[in-house]
Amino acid sequence: MFLALKEIRKEKVRSGLIIAMIVLIGYLIFILTGLALGLAHENTAAIKSWDAAKITLNADANVDMRQSFLTKAQAGKLTKSEAVIGETAVVAKAKGHKQLSATFLGVSSQQYIAKDLQLTSGRAVRQSHEVVADDSLKLSGYKLGSKLKLNDASKAYTIVGFTQNAKLNISPLIYGQLPDWRALRGLGPDMAASAVISKDADYDAGTTGSKTYSAATVIQKLPGYTAQNLTFALMIGFLMVISLIVIAVFLYILTLQKLPNYAVLRVQGVPRKVLVGATISQSLLLVAGGLIGATLLTVATAAIIPAAVPMAFDVPALTAVGVGLLVMAMLGGLIPVRRVLRVDPVSVIGG
Amino acid sequence: MAVLTLEKVNQVFGTGIARVQVLHDVDFAAEAGEVSLIMGPSGSGKSTFLTIAGGLLTPTAGTVTVAGKHYADLSKKARDAIRLDEIGFVLQQYHLLPYLTVADQFKLVDKIKRQGNLDQAAFAGVLQTLGIQELLHKYPGELSGGQQQRVAIARALYPDPAILLADEPTAALDAARVAVVGDLFRELAIQHHKAVVIVTHDPRLIPAADHVYDMSDGVLTHAQSA
Ligand SMILES: Nc1ncnc2c1ncn2[C@@H]1O[C@H](COP(=O)(O)OP(=O)(O)O)[C@@H](O)[C@H]1O
Ligand SMILES: [Mg+2]
Repeated sequence: MFLALKEIRKEKVRSGLIIAMIVLIGYLIFILTGLALGLAHENTAAIKSWDAAKITLNADANVDMRQSFLTKAQAGKLTKSEAVIGETAVVAKAKGHKQLSATFLGVSSQQYIAKDLQLTSGRAVRQSHEVVADDSLKLSGYKLGSKLKLNDASKAYTIVGFTQNAKLNISPLIYGQLPDWRALRGLGPDMAASAVISKDADYDAGTTGSKTYSAATVIQKLPGYTAQNLTFALMIGFLMVISLIVIAVFLYILTLQKLPNYAVLRVQGVPRKVLVGATISQSLLLVAGGLIGATLLTVATAAIIPAAVPMAFDVPALTAVGVGLLVMAMLGGLIPVRRVLRVDPVSVIGG
Repeated sequence: MAVLTLEKVNQVFGTGIARVQVLHDVDFAAEAGEVSLIMGPSGSGKSTFLTIAGGLLTPTAGTVTVAGKHYADLSKKARDAIRLDEIGFVLQQYHLLPYLTVADQFKLVDKIKRQGNLDQAAFAGVLQTLGIQELLHKYPGELSGGQQQRVAIARALYPDPAILLADEPTAALDAARVAVVGDLFRELAIQHHKAVVIVTHDPRLIPAADHVYDMSDGVLTHAQSA
């Protein structure tokens, strides 16, 4: 640590440059992680808020809630751990507001999803053409009592309440009644729902024409969700590897220049582990410095970023990523360490 | 009693037609308080001698004893420790870390060898003798070649070793400086009671020596005693 600190202090410009590089890489990684988590949240928040363990869909719906219809018979018998939902994509229009794509979700006020819905303001839906909307609609200027038209339905809907975490597949949810869903979707009274949601991990509808999946399976099959997560994981992984290479190359060059000095220290009886420790602590100090800078930038970004940007700055996840970078620095430091271990003290005698 | 002895030391490099015998039955002893000079032309085996005396190379045959210990009996780590504790090396170059101030070069020794280094008073005395007490806050890059060498000598003395091994210490010096460095080594041997062994092909150092040895094609002969 002594040698590492002294060298960083003496070589301010070089160390400053490498730290700046790690600040930028770290910042990029943090922002991407925040974005990945934010988007993942917007994909799955609603399903998580229902505490869903199992989801029953039409067997021919390709595990896609949007494509699924269940008749009353297919929905089967429900206990108080189950609730049906009727899902359909809508475009909300209102005077003075831009058009907004949303997802209408018909629920039954007798079942748990509607009963357990946590409102941030207003009240629950009591009758047809009343809706509870996701908080994000407030950002578009909607208020309690606002009227909006859904698709080409002639009768306006009234927002009677707001709720949070009502996002499904990056689209805000508008909760209403099942008959309104049928009307919006143009379905007859024999269609009971799009899906049955159950909190019970052992639930299985077991009816002909339906199939029950785990909530995780349905989430994986959300359009674009898995591809999106893979893309982020790939980008973050690449950045990690880049940071490893940056550290390795930088330390390697610095270490090569020092090898004759290290050889003299070995002649003087300085143990190898001191020199190895100096190299590894140097890489850790540089990355730690870079991570502090990246964290400050990220905190500043989180403070000024508009609420509409889907970013989640989850401390455990960001910490894990930070630790990942430290591990990469260690690995990057190991490459020059191999050279340090091979230093031959005899090489500096005689000249 | 001698602090460094080599007995019947032979060194062979390579095998077959590449085989070269660099040292032949070398016997040598260095006493505390005396300066020994090993003289010889380039390629005669001086550096090999120094490498073996310093425990950096195990000779093909023969025994080396430092402060009563045989190198052959010691592990690699124990040899590191002997070099740290008992031997002060003065090398030709790269002897100071460029990113440590002169003061920090000594602090580094304190970090590695926690006990038995020179105390404040003795350290101040060494700095005084070498005339480098003003340089403590400077980096090696800010020193002249002669100043760097004197710092390197102080660095070698700091762990209070029994033996000082110097490799061509006058290679880069003019005649006036050579005399000063020669006197300095004499003074260190007498005042600090070190066994000083200098490997060189510079005859200008002869006046400073108690013993002069000749190295010729790997054969060491005792040429003169003062
Ligand atoms: N590792 C080695 N392998 C083969 N030959 C060596 C090795 N080290 C030294 N030699 C040879 O030993 C001889 C003496 O070398 P050295 O001890 O460096 O002499 P000096 O220091 O007196 O110039 C030289 O001929 C040199 O080429
Ligand atoms: Mg030589």
